[in-house]
Amino acid sequence: MSLGKIPVGIEVNQRSFNLEISPHHTLLDVLRDELRLTGTKECCSEGECGACTVLVNGQAVCSCLVLAVELDGQKVTTIEGLASDGHLDPIQEAFVTTGAVQCGFCIPGMIVAARQLLSSNPNPSRAEIQEGLAGNLCRCGGYSRILDAVALAASSRR
Amino acid sequence: MTTPDWIGRSHERIGARDRVTGALRYTADLSFDDVLHVKLVQVGGARSAIRKVDRCEALKVPGVECVLIADDLPQPIARFGPAFADRPILATGETKFFGEPVAAVVAKTKDAADAAAALVQVDAEPLPAVLSVEQALDPDSALVQDPSLRPKDPLAHSNTLREWTFGWGNPSEVAPDLVIEHDYRFPMVTHFAIEPHVFIAAPDANGVTIWTPTQHVFVLQRVVAAALKWPIAKVRIVAPDPGGGFGGKGWPKFEPLLAVLALRLGRPVRLVLTLEETFQQARRTSARIHAKTGFDRAGRIVSQELNTDFLIGAYADIGVRVVSKASYAACGPYRTPHAKVTARALLSHTTPSTAFRGFGTPQASWAVESQLTEAAGLLGIDPVEIRRRNLPRKGEAFIPNDTPADGDWAAALASAERALDWHAPLAKNRGRGIALGLKSSSTASASQAIVRLHYDASVSVLSGTSDMGQGARTVLAQIAGKELGVSPDRVVITMGDTSIVPYDSSTSASRSTVFMGNAVIKACEQIRRQLRVIAARALEVDESAIDVVPGEVRTPKGAMSYAEAMQAGLGPPRGEIIGVGEERGGGYRPEHPLGGRPEFWEFMCTAVEVEVDPDTGMVDVTRLVLASDVGKALNPQQVETQDEGAATMGVGHSLMEELILDGSGRIVNLGAMDYRIPTIQDIPRELHSVLIENEDGPGPYGAKGAGEGGILGIGGAIGAAVNQAAGVKIRDLPLTPERIWRAIQSARSELP
Amino acid sequence: MRPFGYLRPTTLDQTIAALADPEAKPYLLAGGTDLIVRLRRGHLRPTVVVDTKGVRDLRNEIVSVDGGLRVGARVTMTSIVGDARVREHFQALVEAASVVGSVQIRNRATLTGNICNASPAADTVPALLIYGAVANVAGPAGSRRVPLADFFTGPGRTVLGRGELLESVDLPLPKAPVGAAFGRITRRRGVDLATINLCGLVSSDGTARFAFGAVAPTPFVSVDESGALAAGGSDQAARRAALRRLFARARPITDVRGSLAYRAAMLDVMSDRTWTLAATRLTERLRSGSS
Repeated sequence: MSLGKIPVGIEVNQRSFNLEISPHHTLLDVLRDELRLTGTKECCSEGECGACTVLVNGQAVCSCLVLAVELDGQKVTTIEGLASDGHLDPIQEAFVTTGAVQCGFCIPGMIVAARQLLSSNPNPSRAEIQEGLAGNLCRCGGYSRILDAVALAASSRR
Repeated sequence: MTTPDWIGRSHERIGARDRVTGALRYTADLSFDDVLHVKLVQVGGARSAIRKVDRCEALKVPGVECVLIADDLPQPIARFGPAFADRPILATGETKFFGEPVAAVVAKTKDAADAAAALVQVDAEPLPAVLSVEQALDPDSALVQDPSLRPKDPLAHSNTLREWTFGWGNPSEVAPDLVIEHDYRFPMVTHFAIEPHVFIAAPDANGVTIWTPTQHVFVLQRVVAAALKWPIAKVRIVAPDPGGGFGGKGWPKFEPLLAVLALRLGRPVRLVLTLEETFQQARRTSARIHAKTGFDRAGRIVSQELNTDFLIGAYADIGVRVVSKASYAACGPYRTPHAKVTARALLSHTTPSTAFRGFGTPQASWAVESQLTEAAGLLGIDPVEIRRRNLPRKGEAFIPNDTPADGDWAAALASAERALDWHAPLAKNRGRGIALGLKSSSTASASQAIVRLHYDASVSVLSGTSDMGQGARTVLAQIAGKELGVSPDRVVITMGDTSIVPYDSSTSASRSTVFMGNAVIKACEQIRRQLRVIAARALEVDESAIDVVPGEVRTPKGAMSYAEAMQAGLGPPRGEIIGVGEERGGGYRPEHPLGGRPEFWEFMCTAVEVEVDPDTGMVDVTRLVLASDVGKALNPQQVETQDEGAATMGVGHSLMEELILDGSGRIVNLGAMDYRIPTIQDIPRELHSVLIENEDGPGPYGAKGAGEGGILGIGGAIGAAVNQAAGVKIRDLPLTPERIWRAIQSARSELP
Repeated sequence: MRPFGYLRPTTLDQTIAALADPEAKPYLLAGGTDLIVRLRRGHLRPTVVVDTKGVRDLRNEIVSVDGGLRVGARVTMTSIVGDARVREHFQALVEAASVVGSVQIRNRATLTGNICNASPAADTVPALLIYGAVANVAGPAGSRRVPLADFFTGPGRTVLGRGELLESVDLPLPKAPVGAAFGRITRRRGVDLATINLCGLVSSDGTARFAFGAVAPTPFVSVDESGALAAGGSDQAARRAALRRLFARARPITDVRGSLAYRAAMLDVMSDRTWTLAATRLTERLRSGSS
């Protein structure tokens, strides 16, 4: 047993990183502080607000509740990894179009959660969108426009 | 050549793309070489005598640079505050609220700072705390503030920081047909912006620079300068766009402390608060309002007597202003022949309250609107109709000697009535409510803007407004675009740096579109005037022969673009044209209780339908309608999303939000797990916003301000609807399921 | 968070040894959705965290075993909710697992982790109790089976001794057709912890089982064999009385989520509603002929 750092190999946004990580540092800490991927945000640090949502092997998780050392050999996708070749993902475009973006702090987490939702459920009902984004808080109150954005993205992906 | 009209279009939000890609750097995303991390040390409970602070163990942690306490600082300790300089940089002698820091640990890593903070031993003795309106008013309660801080104040030996009496006529002389008299309570709630507070400071060649997502860079600049006893020019504030402000990021908190630390250590220092710590630092002013309203048989208000007691917290912050501004206009958008409002700003050993969307009006509106709804029920008048009968006409004074009703408010009321289908039959367990909200905008403030027309006719706008989600950048770009005939895509807005942008009072009171917008227009007018001069000189014609319109310079020899005119006029040495604009509105009036007349009224009609489960008290908001009188929606999508967002926030304080204190003043529900705000599953099933646009505002193209309207009356509307659906009369917010259930049980047990 | 060590064993024996190590203060890390929160708040101060995710013996599948399903230690809530067999035979468990946090939480949180965290308000436990779940415990002294009804000893406490862990949970298939339903009271419609939660099961043999959470130091289950709770029964008074007997053991408290009085009243309201839903489901099941 060691309190020292542990070697971890993680793939983030399709780039491989070999890092030495303290066990008590979360994935959120490592993404923001070591990899300087600051698109993923810190808010409640307890898995209640969703601002820190990323995809781990395609599944949406709260990165504040994952120790980075757990992810040796895993693939992580953050908000920075959604656009490809400078083109926004349809979900990102839809969020811009419907006015879903106000202060923007909740938006990366929302979009990543929406990405998982639409990957597994390409034609969600309003209630299903609500359930898929139930773990993402927005204090600007943009929820109805966010719902519109996910619905729009769903139809434009089809 | 015609230029497209950028006004009234839902132009894509400037900054939206950076936000959806995660590229936008908020304050906590900034990186600094050589930065040190700060962690604050607090004690449990609201009020404790600080006997001793033992730093020995903390200082042994590797990487710790210092552990600062009040005694380390020059005495008497520097105090700061936007209205009263009452708050010490660190707690001295006594902590006054749960979360007031006793020490600041600074270390090379976050881990070291956390570890050291846990090792600081504070020997603190709990003291009795004042935690409620009743306790604050009790003459036997402890004094929250030392009387020596208020030397000439006759109230210095009480917890009443300030009191006012507003009004006109004489309510005691009238004999209404119906008098309704009740107490109403509005809870302690917190802003809970998704971005927690963050403060960074670093010494630099000129003095000190502070990075923080503040809404008011110039307020912060002067407060820090005063705390350091420095000239204003030596303090630079850089404010990245906030991740939500709502008033909670308006007024100084730990910036003076961070400035002191940065200067002592000679390096950048960074403090990021946890969400729990953020809750401890800012909240809305809670209130107990006693309302005694007299009506005639036709439902017209005859008299209104209000005692508005606001619990502002341990330090004044901007709380005194919240109380005076909201109380002055507390009677609402109604003809009120006789009015008397006695208001008190009460100190308590609680989180200093600060500005929060609505600025005291949601609290006042909760009481006044509930009174009207009750009167409607007792008099057999429809709740929409009773309001209609009391609404002043446009142009009519409803507060003597003050800004008259400046909108077609009846139209907003009628619009909401229609959109909610107010008169349709109501299903079982359902109720409807309607409420009007009226808020005074800015009363005496100033905005300055600099606009730079570059050699290629692209434009830079320098503005002290903060874009915290309401879309200020976009609106200013649209205005500059219209005035100069330039696409907003060729306009760059720089905000949030006191060394670059000119003075602006604040981003608050829904004032920025009007004040900063007008300043930008004036700056653009100056640019057009200068273009005229340059073009005339270049063409060797009289200025009167030149006409400068947006995008085009019309001369006797034909039309030129702005770029062509500048090239002709400035030649190879190049240059730019700079316009400066200033808007001060109606100006400062020392004799006015608020220092000036409201520049415009922000008016919103909120109507709602709910369903209540009578066995559990659970509420479903089935439909919500908002009708706001905005003058001109420069960007309709942004106005609508602000109104909807404010209403969604208001659903929170109406149905679920409340900071809960234990007997010692400790907040027991800190953090996201037990402080509940609306989620995407809590929104109304249907939401409609209607914008009333009569171009009758003092702002650009007839605009007024918006952004707070949605939260003003929502408590009164939801309260009325819940009370109707459940057959109860609840006068304390929030209307939690349990509170509704209890009221239903009481009502049932009172049945014969 | 305070620093701690990290172990990633690959076998069950290694895991048990790490947990039983007398020199250490170890804690098991499965989904992390409870553990990380408690670590951050300083409620737990382990010297080492033992990650189960590399332990092949701790399965992340649900397998059919004689007479039922066996849920491996690494099975997440998302997997529970999506599994066709669980949906077919253990409807109330799907309902309960569906409300544990958000999608992000459910993608990581394990059923066994939810059990071992032993919150009196754990949403999945009342469902597991009405279905007669059995815990398969492994430890230094070998394996043992513990009915879940006997698993909890107090708030946050279980029968697990030093070095023991929950290897899997068995869900026996109901022997006769049943209808079951999950219910709870929360403070808002969105993601929330339960003020009270409960599960009711009505069997075609006329018996009923109800389990309740957040109203006692541990969740508990009671059985009614009087027949008063059989589907299709029309004696409302007898039904009400029978339900009240089932939660007579409840000792609700007042806390930040609700008062004693409200919780007690909601037991009445929700047991009735849950019975109605369970009984309706049973009736539909019998009508449609599935078992």
